[in-house]
Amino acid sequence: MFRKLALCSFVLLLSGAAATAVAADLTLDQILAKNIQARGGMEKLKAVKSMRMTGKMTVGPGMEAPITLIEKRPHNMRLEFSLQGMTGVQAYDGKSGWTIMPFQGKKDAEPMAEDDLKDAEEQADFDGPLVDYKEKGNKVELMGKDAVEGGEAYKLKVTLKNGDVRYIYIDPDSFLEIKTEGKRTIRGADQEVESTIGDYKEVEGLMIPFSMQAGMKGSPQKQSITIDKVEINPTVDDSVFKMPAAAPAPAADKKPGA
Amino acid sequence: MRIKSLLLLLTLIAVPLLADDAVKVDDQTLSGLTARSIGPAATGGRVAAVAAVKDKGRTLVYVGSAGGGLWKSPNGGTTFKPVFDKYTQSIGAVAIDPKDHSVVWVGTGESWMRNSVSVGDGVYRTTDGGDNWQKLGLENTEHIAGIAIDPANTSTVFACAAGHLWNAGPDRGVYKTSDGGTTWKKVLFVNQETGCSSIAMDPQDSRILYAGMWQFRRTPWSFTSGGPGSALFKSTDGGATWRKLTNGLPGGDLGRIAVAVAPSRTSVLYAVVEAAHSALFRSDDMGESWSEVNSSFNIVGRPFYFALLTVDPQNYNRVYKPGFSLTVSDDGGKTFSPIAGSAHGDFHALWVDPEDSEHLLTASDGGFYSSADRGNTWNFHGNLPIAQFYHVAYDMERPYNVYGGLQDNATWYGPSTAPGGIYNRHWKSADPGDGFWAYPDPNDPDYLYSETQGGRIQRENMKTGETRDIMPSPRAGEPKYRFNWNTPIYMSPTRKGTIYIGCQFLFRSRDRGNSWEKISPDLTTNDPEKQKQEQSGGLTVDNSDAETHTTIFAISESPKNANLVWAGTDDGNLQVTRDGGRTWSNVAGNIAGLPRNTWVSSVEASRYDEGTAFATFDGHAMGDMKTYIFKTSDYGKTWKALANDSMSGYAHVIRQDTVNPELLFAGTEAGLWVSVDGGGNWAHFHGGDFPPVAVRDVAIHPREGDLILATHGRGVWVVDDLTPLRALTPKVLNSDVAFLPSRNSVQMIASSSDFGFPGDGEFSGQPAADDAVITYYLKKRHMFGDLKLEIYDPAGKLVSTVDGGKRKGLNRVTWSMRMKPPKSPAAAGGIVPNFFGILGPRVLDGAYTVKMIKGKETYTSEVKVVPDPRSTHTRAEREAQFKTAMQAYNLLARLTYVVDSVVDSRNQARDRVLKLASTDPLRKQVQDVGDSLDSMRSKLVAVNEAGGITGEVRLREYMIDLYGSINGYEGAPTQSQLNRLEALTTELDGISAQYAALNKQFDVINAELQKKQLDPVHSLTREEWDKRQSAGN
Repeated sequence: MFRKLALCSFVLLLSGAAATAVAADLTLDQILAKNIQARGGMEKLKAVKSMRMTGKMTVGPGMEAPITLIEKRPHNMRLEFSLQGMTGVQAYDGKSGWTIMPFQGKKDAEPMAEDDLKDAEEQADFDGPLVDYKEKGNKVELMGKDAVEGGEAYKLKVTLKNGDVRYIYIDPDSFLEIKTEGKRTIRGADQEVESTIGDYKEVEGLMIPFSMQAGMKGSPQKQSITIDKVEINPTVDDSVFKMPAAAPAPAADKKPGA
Repeated sequence: MRIKSLLLLLTLIAVPLLADDAVKVDDQTLSGLTARSIGPAATGGRVAAVAAVKDKGRTLVYVGSAGGGLWKSPNGGTTFKPVFDKYTQSIGAVAIDPKDHSVVWVGTGESWMRNSVSVGDGVYRTTDGGDNWQKLGLENTEHIAGIAIDPANTSTVFACAAGHLWNAGPDRGVYKTSDGGTTWKKVLFVNQETGCSSIAMDPQDSRILYAGMWQFRRTPWSFTSGGPGSALFKSTDGGATWRKLTNGLPGGDLGRIAVAVAPSRTSVLYAVVEAAHSALFRSDDMGESWSEVNSSFNIVGRPFYFALLTVDPQNYNRVYKPGFSLTVSDDGGKTFSPIAGSAHGDFHALWVDPEDSEHLLTASDGGFYSSADRGNTWNFHGNLPIAQFYHVAYDMERPYNVYGGLQDNATWYGPSTAPGGIYNRHWKSADPGDGFWAYPDPNDPDYLYSETQGGRIQRENMKTGETRDIMPSPRAGEPKYRFNWNTPIYMSPTRKGTIYIGCQFLFRSRDRGNSWEKISPDLTTNDPEKQKQEQSGGLTVDNSDAETHTTIFAISESPKNANLVWAGTDDGNLQVTRDGGRTWSNVAGNIAGLPRNTWVSSVEASRYDEGTAFATFDGHAMGDMKTYIFKTSDYGKTWKALANDSMSGYAHVIRQDTVNPELLFAGTEAGLWVSVDGGGNWAHFHGGDFPPVAVRDVAIHPREGDLILATHGRGVWVVDDLTPLRALTPKVLNSDVAFLPSRNSVQMIASSSDFGFPGDGEFSGQPAADDAVITYYLKKRHMFGDLKLEIYDPAGKLVSTVDGGKRKGLNRVTWSMRMKPPKSPAAAGGIVPNFFGILGPRVLDGAYTVKMIKGKETYTSEVKVVPDPRSTHTRAEREAQFKTAMQAYNLLARLTYVVDSVVDSRNQARDRVLKLASTDPLRKQVQDVGDSLDSMRSKLVAVNEAGGITGEVRLREYMIDLYGSINGYEGAPTQSQLNRLEALTTELDGISAQYAALNKQFDVINAELQKKQLDPVHSLTREEWDKRQSAGN
């Protein structure tokens, strides 16, 4: 249960940093350029080597879990979330992914199946699928404008290298992303998720969303993620993205000499 | 900072702009006001077309419903999702590109030409499996019976357009595109009365086509199938030229024809031909000659509704005939056997798996079914909420139930909400047949008034099922009563239990239908030309009540004056009496701009003013698709048109809000329209993905303020709480930010009953939110900085913070009416399995202040929290519960502090141990204290790291479980719980005392450590811990 919750939320969570906006008849390239500019510019985006975000995730009425998301270039990510004092982990190091789900008593890290990794892979796409999309093998099409979230927005169709499709809606005034719809194929079946993104704040020259509502497409039950703090380029050791060999006791719990 | 509570339940309007700079309510303004689809999916919904294909080993299915859109299942029907919700909801034909299954063609406008059939607006195509659609023209065809794709070159496609049902016109026949729908050429046209009813392509040679051409017409009072235009045609050059096939087929006028080619032997064709003597014909020479093989009832019955044949792809002698029942022949059409007795009748689609002849999909007036044994047994798929309601009513239960009648699916009633979702099992049915109006008896909620077609009203005891026929019948010397297909039944708003029903006369009963008082003369035109239903049908006589005309269709009694009653008729009279029925006057002629004899689809006497009434008129059955809505303020002497060019769809209903006279709701064939200014402007409503489905009836629940929508194709939808909409004034709309009032937020009793594991295959209607719903308006989308809501209790203390909606227009944000979740220390063993142990305590009822933080601005409103009216607990009991829950909650926080401090001290001790030489006697001392702390931890929390079900229970686990059990019940805690709380408190006190004692030992050790230049061990204090918590650690 918790694994599923975390999966569909964090995917949408931060990868969603991509956003752009435009007026009437802009081309796709213009929209993408304005999006990157609105996010802080390519130079600043590329200067980010690692990022840590802390906040909370509401997983149901009255159910809140503190979360931490760490990302590091080239393709590392780690999400932690806590419930009743226990911390679950999902991580990916560019090759393989793993989870620790201690909520039923087992604290060993478990590898993730390839299909279940798609979320993590996307999350680890540091700048989002729009930046350098051609080099990444993504296809992006401008689908015109569509009514979304009470107003008109540019609709971009992104076909990821693996064939999964995402729609990204760009606010025509700010050129920042306001909504994504993700469709990925899991064991041959489509899984559709959507998220709305907002509360952009400037952090060291970058425009970063601090709020996200995510869930299965069409379902009224959405997880809400709000970010309290964003750290740019914190020092993060690569080891946190690697799957531990055995159940990692929290560092503080280690016995002397152990 | 203490937040002052502001205006009770009123909105605080922020930064009003110039009031003249009017902002209009449009479809987007209201898009955040969501509607809930509550089903039922327990029965149909007529399905008009089914297309399926084997796709990577799975069965990909598209179900085209008659009025509820297109549904896609990638898994053979286990789950469905609607993929056509931005477009017209009536589907006539669906075809999947055989080369690329992500390409799907849809012909809109059902072609099963019953009286209630909807209309379409052309051909659409998707190239990405339904995510996006392009409209490809043929907009004015209204009804499309078939789509045939050339399997060799899939950009060549034929559309079989039946064309207009209600009037003549050129937009019908067979159309061909060779460029994927960019351009179309009409390749077969007979005349303005004759369209295409069936098309078949030779699967081995796509140049060979067969088309059934059909002459047909409906009026409100008649149906005609057949005429000289009807014939079976063949082309051998890809549609360039056509010739009639006649050899062996009946002479004279023909009616609707269905034609099918046997895929496994394409020289074999079957055709059902409506004629003076209708029959199934077979050809063994590609249609050049035909011989009659069968004329049994199910073959020839009701061709306008069932002209369809499916040949088993692997067996040219096996042919299926969907009809009243589903029949199959295994001998080339000589004999037929019924095979789907368990399924709802009136079949309109059948698919046979080309790879597995055992695997069938079918659909009928009752929905969608699948079979794994060639039709011997069937699975009903209870996951398509496509019910075709005509009307809806409600009762006053908590939660209230909704009631309504469906096309060919009787009367259904079910709850407006249910814990965890509204499932098929929550819905119940009454009276087989077509259902229309249904009302619970306001004097005895165990009884239901309902009807079937033609005015067959009955009164049923819903507990026992006992049913009594209470239909009025003519007395000696009276003419035959003419009851409409959809006969109006109406409950008096002024006299509880008084009930009306109308034929050409209006009747009133004050004794539960035991006797009826005739309170009008014939209110219709009584035009004998419109009363010849016994001759209706054309070649096949069809007199089912569906065409009964010159009848009363709409009734409304003024809530201000029981003697003022309106009655509208299907032949265009709008009559009013102001003396309880003694005298009547027809005021329809006073309505400028309304064609004569236009069907009165609804009339609504205003609840605010006796002279005011609203009426809708529906001319579609005469070929007039305009939206007609009118209002009078002088008892019908003069009328004002309310509909404007922004609206579409012929009008079914208008309702005036029960609180705000300016708030109007109009249902048309194209959806729901909302006006907040008395009909000056209308917004097309799409909230919560509400599709442009026909809205046949609208009700407003007087207690809850919910809007209840009866759709003819998507079941019942509910828009919870109209309070914000009632307050959507121009002043609000001109504000940058404005809170809108909501009804009281009810703390619903947490129900843990009624759960199950139904898998994925059952529809579940969305329940009403258990949360408080906070509504506000944003003139622009919020983009930058925070937008969050802080909730303060009546004492001004912050109890919760929730993320706010950012959308332009109305936003609805929920608050769980709970405090933050309890603190809990880390432990082995996992989550304590007590649901309420994870949740924060539920707050007490009262007025809570909502403070919106939007960037640098703040705005304030209020939420009034009230207990569930069903709750039996007194305020004192709830206070006792809250107090005890908070004690347990605080005890958990204290435990968390103690554990954190103990672990922190232990870790410091262990750190110092590593820094001391192994020979140092201090090392052993520090080590011992560290070990004592570790064993102390093992009394506080489960520490067994074995994983899985260790069964280890310590203070943490006991405490969370106790907290959860107190938190899960709103009444006073049990004595056992109070005792247990005391015991656990005492236990924690004891360990805390031990910890304090151990801390004393550190004083000694710390002096020694400092001598060795090592940091002292500092035990974390509660103050320091609290500071850490509030810092968000």
